Amino acid sequence: MTTPDFSDPENLTARERQALECLIKRLADDEFVLAERYTEWQVRAPTLESDLALANNAQDELGHARLWYDVLGDHGYTERELVYERDPAEFRHSTIVELPFEEGDWADAVLRSYLCDVAEELRLEALEASSSPKIANRVAKIQQEESYHREHAQNWLERLAEGEEGHERLQAALDRLFPHALTIFEPCAPPHGENANKTNETSDDEPRATGSDVEADIVDFGLRTATLEELGEEWLAIVVPYLESLDLDVPESGQTGDGEFEFEVTQEMLPDERGRDGIHTDAWVDLYDDFTHTYRELGRSEPTKIMETPE
Amino acid sequence: MMDLGTVKERAGPREFSPADDLPREYREAATRMIEFHANSEIMGAYLERPFIRQSPSIDRKLAFSAKVQDEIGHGQLLYRAAESLGVKTREEMLDDLANGDGKFLNCFHYPLESWVEVPMISFFVDGAAMRRQATLRRTSWEPYAHAMDKVCFEEGFHVKHGEDILKELMTGSRKEQQMTQEAFEEWWPRIIQFFGPTDDKSTHHDFASSVGLKQQSNDDLRNAFLDQYIPKARKYGLEIPDEPRIRERDDGTYAVEEDDLDWDEFFTIAKNEYEPGLGQINGRKHAQEAVDWVRETIERDTPAASGHEPQAAD
Repeated sequence: MTTPDFSDPENLTARERQALECLIKRLADDEFVLAERYTEWQVRAPTLESDLALANNAQDELGHARLWYDVLGDHGYTERELVYERDPAEFRHSTIVELPFEEGDWADAVLRSYLCDVAEELRLEALEASSSPKIANRVAKIQQEESYHREHAQNWLERLAEGEEGHERLQAALDRLFPHALTIFEPCAPPHGENANKTNETSDDEPRATGSDVEADIVDFGLRTATLEELGEEWLAIVVPYLESLDLDVPESGQTGDGEFEFEVTQEMLPDERGRDGIHTDAWVDLYDDFTHTYRELGRSEPTKIMETPE
Repeated sequence: MMDLGTVKERAGPREFSPADDLPREYREAATRMIEFHANSEIMGAYLERPFIRQSPSIDRKLAFSAKVQDEIGHGQLLYRAAESLGVKTREEMLDDLANGDGKFLNCFHYPLESWVEVPMISFFVDGAAMRRQATLRRTSWEPYAHAMDKVCFEEGFHVKHGEDILKELMTGSRKEQQMTQEAFEEWWPRIIQFFGPTDDKSTHHDFASSVGLKQQSNDDLRNAFLDQYIPKARKYGLEIPDEPRIRERDDGTYAVEEDDLDWDEFFTIAKNEYEPGLGQINGRKHAQEAVDWVRETIERDTPAASGHEPQAAD
């Protein structure tokens, strides 16, 4: 197959368009929702210094979300359809980013940040040579900021893991978060209306998300140069040894054989809600209601733009 | 040690620094003033934080998150300037704030419940703060004046953003305009009280002014604010409420009828006894207690640093 020309959004086939949109929603929704959660720590972090640092990360992620959503501007989508008036069931973020923080659970904040940041680094690498110039052009700027995030998370993890209470809290957070982290590498379901009858499939015999064609297209069209399985394996090969070096037990690590990380996610390893398939936890609905509150209260029909083009 | 007479004689902009051996009266008065300012940054940020999430667009959300972050940064800077007087540590000041002993601006004791109230803080209150802070760049405690340089620079952006939010609301739907006018009527007297009671009722004014800590009187600041912000409010279509009565002087400047303002409420607030404000103090205390375990971990790691300098992991 010849690589489609994504520099010309007018001349894409329906499948090409869907692959691009699906990829962007994976990226942008993850960043947007994670940023929403990070902002919960503003004016609540352990110290003024950590408050400032987490606020920085939240703004970085929000900026990235804005950059990714903007890619779909070529396809006639605006922030209204993509965020403020999108049906919450049409968001495609992984469930790890939507879970609320328990008050004071800083261990969750730094662990979640680490798990997401590693995944983010890997998928950005796989986008460096994307066939979509708009995607490829945005990667370098985002990478620059993300490397700092991971370093920050690791500094904290290492610090907390040394203390008894910190270690206990990290282990509890890991047990709770790990299954949701695996959903980062789950396939996306297409929007409702297209194969809508299948998206709520809960049988164990076949994958619930029927987007695997879309996911294959994303790679076949050269939009991303690694498959979800490859990204997941790489991710496990990084996070499992690292977390074990902190004396943490990784639940269901997917490790098979002698140290090779075969990425074999079984149904049992995954939570009921996987996000990518449009099935979310109740916390997502509450979060959605909260962030759209003003927009609805004031009867707005267009989210305010301050910057003409995102930087 | 420098005696009080010399302090008063020398009192000028940025005159004193940690190199000077200053009398206790000066150091305590300066600590009280800067601690109040720092506490206000924190409690202002606490009040506004729900609107990061409730901002009606990604751009607004980014700007609002950055604003709240800036206020925390100002708090950090100001606690450092206060600490350098050698009277209280940052931990003592933050503990006092959590325990309800720390004082902060009257406006941050009120609840903030809707986006239409946001510009009441981020345009009017921040605008009022800007006026005061601009004069404090000439305060006699050099670390305080130095902090004000950065604070004023950033606050300028906040006020611009607040003004943009107000403009958007007042050019929006009729419903938005009405809601904004109602919010303005509720907040207007509180905003005027931002500057505190008239000079003859102000407890700390004379001393602070005689040692150069305070550069302009409450009355002068309030009047200058009215001169600047009444026309701005009108420009955006807000109607100035009948009460408190505002007199227009012959030269076109304004003065407020002090007796029309609720000073009982003001002094209840000043004692940290006003109900919504207490809820905010305790809400923040609760959030701080929930992360005590992290601070204890940090302190155990680095007993000497005690959290002043940025840590490797912060």
